[in-house]
Amino acid sequence: MSVRTSPVAAAAPAMPARSALFGASALGRWLVTLLLTVLAVATLYPLFFTLLTSLKSRSDFAQNPLGFTADLTLDNYVAAFERMNVPRLLLNSVVTTAGGLLISTVAALFLAYAVTKLRIRGGNLIFLFIIAMLVIPSQVIIYPLYETILTFGMGGTYQGLIFTYAAFGLPLGTYLLAAYFRAVPDDLIEAARLDGAGELRILFSIMLPVSLPAIAAISILNFVWMWNDLLLPLVIMGGSDNKTLMVGVSLLSGQYDVSIPLVSAGLVIALAPVVLVYFVFQRQILSGAIAGAVR
Amino acid sequence: MVAASPAAAPPRVRKTSRKRPLMRRELLIGILFVLPGLALAILFKLVPLIRGFVLSLYETRGFEDPTFAGLANYRRMIADPAVADSFRNALVAFATLPVWIVLPLVLAFLIFQRSPGWTIFRAAFFLPYMIAPIVVGIMFRQILAPEGPLNALLTAVGLAPLAIEWLNGPTSALLSLTAVALWSFFGLGVLTYLSGLATLSEEVLEAARLDGAGFWRMLVSIVIPLLKPVIGYWTVLCTSGILIWMFPLIYALTRGGPGSATVLPEYLVFTTTFQFLDRGTGAAIGMALFVFVALVSALVVKRMYAEGKAKAR
Repeated sequence: MSVRTSPVAAAAPAMPARSALFGASALGRWLVTLLLTVLAVATLYPLFFTLLTSLKSRSDFAQNPLGFTADLTLDNYVAAFERMNVPRLLLNSVVTTAGGLLISTVAALFLAYAVTKLRIRGGNLIFLFIIAMLVIPSQVIIYPLYETILTFGMGGTYQGLIFTYAAFGLPLGTYLLAAYFRAVPDDLIEAARLDGAGELRILFSIMLPVSLPAIAAISILNFVWMWNDLLLPLVIMGGSDNKTLMVGVSLLSGQYDVSIPLVSAGLVIALAPVVLVYFVFQRQILSGAIAGAVR
Repeated sequence: MVAASPAAAPPRVRKTSRKRPLMRRELLIGILFVLPGLALAILFKLVPLIRGFVLSLYETRGFEDPTFAGLANYRRMIADPAVADSFRNALVAFATLPVWIVLPLVLAFLIFQRSPGWTIFRAAFFLPYMIAPIVVGIMFRQILAPEGPLNALLTAVGLAPLAIEWLNGPTSALLSLTAVALWSFFGLGVLTYLSGLATLSEEVLEAARLDGAGFWRMLVSIVIPLLKPVIGYWTVLCTSGILIWMFPLIYALTRGGPGSATVLPEYLVFTTTFQFLDRGTGAAIGMALFVFVALVSALVVKRMYAEGKAKAR
């Protein structure tokens, strides 16, 4: 993974109880709102434009590429589904993202527990090694990585992409979980051990419940970049039937006979799942639960 | 050896007597626990990095067997104008960093005023970050098209001379690419700054307000000094981001064109390897880029390690 995700952003912006500056002046506060509204509209316009375009017929778009139109149509979506084989692409994206997310999180759980709560030699060194892997972005090793995946006989397969995703998601996951685990008092673990609980039992019935917010944060962060990534699936899956939705969309937009409304429909299909996740987990993403772990 | 707890309370001392078997078991479990993660990191990151370095020392011609060539690829890389162009383009992109740093800060501070609807604005500004860069790129190809909505708007407000072919001029294409990247990532900056703002003391802000400090004065004299660590962190992130976030955007928007105007090093690694099938030189450029990215993001890792490592027990 590139250093795209921010541990700081994962920390929740908990807002102060009252306005920091214009608390007293109602006019000032409404001016801020007005300014932010203009900026937000400008920010969201490209999305709106794409959605509108995707609902126009080809001829409608040719005559009136920018404005509103009365007769909106879903034809482009039907065509995009057929051309891209959307169900298969969706399946591929879901399988690889879910697989990468799961393996990455489980590996990070065991690692974080080992380096924080098992008194093994060099625990800190292992921790440093894992998070230092952040400095290796996929872009600079893309061919040797592909070569390595071929060596394992995983070219064009789900597991090739899943293990790669898992490896690239590991540093941040280990970091966040380790921060949570450190907060659990050693005495508590010691007491559980004296009661005869095994390490697995301690990990899954004491540590796991405590770290659920961190796991939620890791899952969301990993979901977003794994789902959205282009380079890794492009290279690892190539033109195979296992290519992901993002690769499918980039191929669709490269076809010469494809219309802009059709491509727009493909874009909306590609961004819909992640926007859905965003709306469902908005609270966790923007504030609250994800937080605490980091500082 | 096992870190003996310095807080050796009596119960711990007793434990030492039956240490050996327990310790060996703990060591075994420790190895089993770190193994899956270590294997992933080594097999899918460290090994490819080493293989990339080895490959960079080999001469590769299409699909022929590679032959050892020492530093020939690096010499070729240094002499190659395409490589120089890509790093020069990266420098131009770096020149836009002040905008990357200041714009999200101002927006975060505006949202921080908690004016009516601030939660909606926070959500709206973060939405672009959630959308795949490849989707963003294809989307903006339409927005920036000669007959697209941006030029229509510019013409409508009487700025017709500014309505240019954004993706077709050497300078405008690179700046357009950077601007689209900024659209894609500024929301992360807003959220990063907001999390920093949340840690500021209410009393300090309140006192400054009572002293009659206005928006800009407050931002410059109070917020920026207090947020220095967060600003530093975001700057580091953007610096490495300009080197490694752009691939899907270039792929969708310009494919490196016109000419080599929007080829950044990460895109050059891809085209050298997969289009020109010169894997050796591709690996050498990859190593050069790796050195730059690693130097920058080592700062992030250092911070994470300082925060996350075990304190001396």
